[in-house]
Amino acid sequence: DDHKLSVSELEEKYGTSINKGLSSARAAEILARDGPNSLTPPKATPEIVKFLKQLVGGFSILLWIGAVFSWISFGIQLAQGAESAFDNLYLGVVLALVVILTGIFAYYQEAKSTNIMASFSKMIPQQALVIRDAEKKELPADQLVVGDIVEIKGGDRIPADIRLISTQGCKVDNSSLTGESEPQSRSCDFTHDNPLETRNIAFYSTTCVEGTATGIVINTGDRTIIGRIASLASGVGNEKTPIAIEIEHFVYLVAGVAISVGVLFFIISVSMRYKILDSIIFLIGIIVANVPEGLLATVTVSLSLTAKRMAKKNCLVKNLEAVETLGSTSIICSDKTGTLTQNRMTVAHLWFDNQIYSADTSEDQTTQPFDQSSPSWTALSKIVTLCNRAEFRPGQENLPIMKRVVVGDASETALLKFAEVILGDVMGIRAQNKKVAEIPFNSTNKFQLSIHETDDPNDKRFLLVMKGAPERILERCSTIMINGKEEPLDSEKAEAFQTAYMELGGMGERVLGFCHLYLPENEFPDTYPFDTDSMNFPTSNLCFVGLLSMIDPPRSTVPDAVSKCRSAGIKVIMVTGDHPITAKAIAKSVGIISATSETVEDIAKRLNIPVEQVNRREATAAVVNGMELKDMSLQQLDEILCNHSEIVFARTSPQQKLIIVEGCQRQGAVVAVTGDGVNDSPALKKADIGIAMGIAGSDAAKNAADMVLLDDNFASIVTGVEEGRLIFDNLKKTIAYTLTKNIAELCPFLIYIIASIPMPIGTITILFIDLGTDIIPSVALAYEKAESDIMNRRPRNKRKDRLVNEQLAVYSYLQIGIMQSVGAFVTYFTVYAEQGFLPSTLLGVRVDWENNAINDFEDSYGQEWTKYQRTYLQWTGYTAFFVSITIQQVADLIIRKTRRNSIFQQGLFRNKVIWVGIFSQIGIALILTYGLGHVTALNFTPLRFQYWFVAVPFAILIWVYDEVRKLFIRRYPGSWWDKNMYY
Amino acid sequence: MSKETKKPFRQSMAEWRQFIYNPSSGEFLGRTAKSWGLILLFYLVFYGFLAALFTFTMWVMLQTLSSDIPKYRDRISSPGLMISPKPDTALEFYFNKSDAQSYAEYVSTLRKFLESYDDSKQSQNINCTPGRIFDQNDVAVKKACRFNLSELGQCSGKEDKTFGYSKGTPCVLVKVNRIIGLKPEGEPRIQCTPKEEGTVEINYFPPEGLIDLMYFPYYGKSLHAHYLQPLVAIQLAINSNSTKEEVAIECKILGSPNLKNEDDRDKFLGRIAFKVQMTE
Repeated sequence: DDHKLSVSELEEKYGTSINKGLSSARAAEILARDGPNSLTPPKATPEIVKFLKQLVGGFSILLWIGAVFSWISFGIQLAQGAESAFDNLYLGVVLALVVILTGIFAYYQEAKSTNIMASFSKMIPQQALVIRDAEKKELPADQLVVGDIVEIKGGDRIPADIRLISTQGCKVDNSSLTGESEPQSRSCDFTHDNPLETRNIAFYSTTCVEGTATGIVINTGDRTIIGRIASLASGVGNEKTPIAIEIEHFVYLVAGVAISVGVLFFIISVSMRYKILDSIIFLIGIIVANVPEGLLATVTVSLSLTAKRMAKKNCLVKNLEAVETLGSTSIICSDKTGTLTQNRMTVAHLWFDNQIYSADTSEDQTTQPFDQSSPSWTALSKIVTLCNRAEFRPGQENLPIMKRVVVGDASETALLKFAEVILGDVMGIRAQNKKVAEIPFNSTNKFQLSIHETDDPNDKRFLLVMKGAPERILERCSTIMINGKEEPLDSEKAEAFQTAYMELGGMGERVLGFCHLYLPENEFPDTYPFDTDSMNFPTSNLCFVGLLSMIDPPRSTVPDAVSKCRSAGIKVIMVTGDHPITAKAIAKSVGIISATSETVEDIAKRLNIPVEQVNRREATAAVVNGMELKDMSLQQLDEILCNHSEIVFARTSPQQKLIIVEGCQRQGAVVAVTGDGVNDSPALKKADIGIAMGIAGSDAAKNAADMVLLDDNFASIVTGVEEGRLIFDNLKKTIAYTLTKNIAELCPFLIYIIASIPMPIGTITILFIDLGTDIIPSVALAYEKAESDIMNRRPRNKRKDRLVNEQLAVYSYLQIGIMQSVGAFVTYFTVYAEQGFLPSTLLGVRVDWENNAINDFEDSYGQEWTKYQRTYLQWTGYTAFFVSITIQQVADLIIRKTRRNSIFQQGLFRNKVIWVGIFSQIGIALILTYGLGHVTALNFTPLRFQYWFVAVPFAILIWVYDEVRKLFIRRYPGSWWDKNMYY
Repeated sequence: MSKETKKPFRQSMAEWRQFIYNPSSGEFLGRTAKSWGLILLFYLVFYGFLAALFTFTMWVMLQTLSSDIPKYRDRISSPGLMISPKPDTALEFYFNKSDAQSYAEYVSTLRKFLESYDDSKQSQNINCTPGRIFDQNDVAVKKACRFNLSELGQCSGKEDKTFGYSKGTPCVLVKVNRIIGLKPEGEPRIQCTPKEEGTVEINYFPPEGLIDLMYFPYYGKSLHAHYLQPLVAIQLAINSNSTKEEVAIECKILGSPNLKNEDDRDKFLGRIAFKVQMTE
């Protein structure tokens, strides 16, 4: 009922005062009673459910099937009394352990990345302006209590349910509460019985679109209207991210291969009269060989690595999905001020002595390089220093000049900093030239004037300095200073002034004129009473000294970022509320409009013909005024977006931004939009990826966006794009690397079944590759630097360019995988032959070989082997096969560093983590072979050292072959080879 | 952010059909005939090359091997023991002494096994000096020592064609696995003991189950083609009160320090266990 009460009744009810607010102590009491002003988060999925989901998701089901089969065959064999029964029990246990451990890992990783995301949202805490203890304070919104007096302005999110007590043109957007998108005005009047309808209450979580208001907090936290509507708070749907879709697609693909090969060979082995039990065991082996057990964990690690890397580069990503979407961006609609520019007026050019000088406009200037020897400059610098009301806040002496906070308007700040950089200690100079009178700038005069004593003790004259709009200043001058000498201002010199003024103005810069006059000592003695109202001093026939022009200069990193976008096939469109000339000048200086391209107006000017006669197709660039845009039909807008590659929208309103975004999306583009204001939120929401500014952005913009740029810098967007593309590429590489050896693990089973040779590699050994030697290398690929072409190719087409495509699977499975198998089999046959079993002896021996009762099995030389001696030899074979795969996986790892470029272009040593991967791979293999070679359950045996090198030629062959593949791809783009071999 | 909408079934079927055969572009499974031809040709060449490479490396590897002795013999440093006849079911003998059919297979196996020990087959073999290692390292043509079947006594199959099975005193031959270059030390002999004492009486041929050193070393199949490994026969006389029960017997090689007979994992290294069950 608070909306019906009067202000004084409210004050009484909540024990507060409109002017003084609550006392801190009282507020703390209420806070302790009511709890913080935040919504209780919706009930999350229970952790155990999340964990169980990890245990059955992805490949886990396949492995569970394998484990269950193992236990079934253990049961059957145990009943038959076979000695080897326990092998199957162990295998089942190991498979189950693998699932559980990878499940725990994935769960942990997910929890961690959820925490990262959560901390991101906490890093943008909402602040509220509160009156407490009769002081205005910024407090975190969750500290608000009932009875607090809060002030709200346009762009703020309403921090609690508030009864308004004073408003100025306040409008709120209640769409989060009612779904109505039309802003509603708010006032202090009680207009309706229903609290939801009355105008004098603003609700928690809605946004104030414009105006200002003050109000009393009447409800906090879960007691607010929105807190009571529980369903709204929990109703955030969980949509599948593109990368999740890609990974699901990949899991289906690999599981499909595993199951079809498994079933095919199950049928083959049954029809080859193997026992059903044996066939099932083969089936388990095939599944285990086919499933990349460690891959999903690797992918999770890679993604969270990227999220961290992005955060370090000032891109706060609200969900990982955004990283990848950013990678496929094809148009960026960017703000100008603050994003492309430094958001700080800076002196860019000077004109004195009939000459234009450029000044350094970079962010961290410490000196100015232009020629400062002319006495005209000395005079000019004096005016700049003295005719200026801006001052540094005290206590910043240790900060760099450009970072100091200044009290004063933008132009004066620019001039003050400019003077401080060149002259140093401006405040000291001002103190020595005591000010005796001053007329501040106003819009009728368009000038600013002040009169000073001089710092020269012998010169008793007063110095009158003046700055203002150049044409107004010139009007008041009769002379002009050239090289320190006053010369009469004739028409020729006035012409030179005009040219310079036009030129600076044409660069989109704000130009100021400067003039001075030394007042004659006899007319204006020491004690002369200057009166600024009657202007009892001359304000004409002054001496013109020079011009200074200022601009909000582009950030120094932006031109490079724009050219990166251009080569990456991303169109950069500038959308600004600024004047077209300024917009165009900035667009040109950052390369959004390149140096050689022309607008229709430029062509008209060059050819000296009317604008209407210009062939519009000839113009690559376009500067579109908001006024023109208003009258355009959608077709005309489409035409502009389609036909011009370089577009600047100037003088646009935030509503028009939405129209532009929709226009771009009609072209089929993936659009990224930057924005900071409340009014930008529709465009941010509409965009495929909305990017809010972290510094300048309003809460509403940050809420609507998918990503927050902490430093408001355009270059960070480009970094984000690069990271997005990189993670996609690197995941591809990781998957290709992991899939390859699956064939080398699968082939032994197939050949074992078909040719009946002794088993070349054991199921447990395979697990040691998948979860042992291969894990660190595949994570290492996530650290791989971008191939040099990453920002030189067109954005990914979401529909066509899959993460795991046909080429990747075919090249990994049927080419490199087969080469690895051949290499491993050579080692296998070598080990057996050197121990007495020539390859010809091995074919078809499986049944006798595995018969426990045969203990005089004859080899090629007439020697007789017991079963255990054979088994031990078989384990040596496993170890040899394992070692060969490991060695060849080193080559596989190296070739996967790039997909197109030569390894030598990429640099073999640039990614140090790869080497960590290689050493870990070999290290783990050494430990398994020599360290654990005596643990029978693991089926490893110490291996003769030379067998480590049998597969080396094949490893080299893999590398050479892949280099040849990449060479042909680079040499013959678009050829048959390129189409079939590039993944 | 764009959500994929589910396609209607009919449309996805049509897409599949289109994929299997696309009449407008002549594509079959996503490739034209020419494209299929090219890709198959590529894989023909690619796998042809790999096959050639595999064959070549295997050939090179085989060239490094000697045809006489294997490069390494460390996996079989000590021989296993084996018996003949070897029942199909894991080393368990079941027979009825009055039913010839029940032991026919054992008898025929023994007969076959001893064929190569027949005097007529040993005409090229020489009589060696007993009790000494017969070293022939310097000789190009390795001779084989004669093993007289008569040494197996009642188990030679000469007097009793059924090797004692019909009388309830079955013979089992114990042999030491062939290992190239193996030279036993000391006086190796086979000793068999029943698991439960008194269940069976064991007779050894040659006496005490001695294995003569003159049959060692073995020089491999190609150099030592006529080699015959020494045998020890044991004849089991099962106590009448122990019939109908399984009699477990373990044989070990003893008397030689370099022949192992107790390995935790290898149950056949220098020893062998088998069971006999005889009914009447």
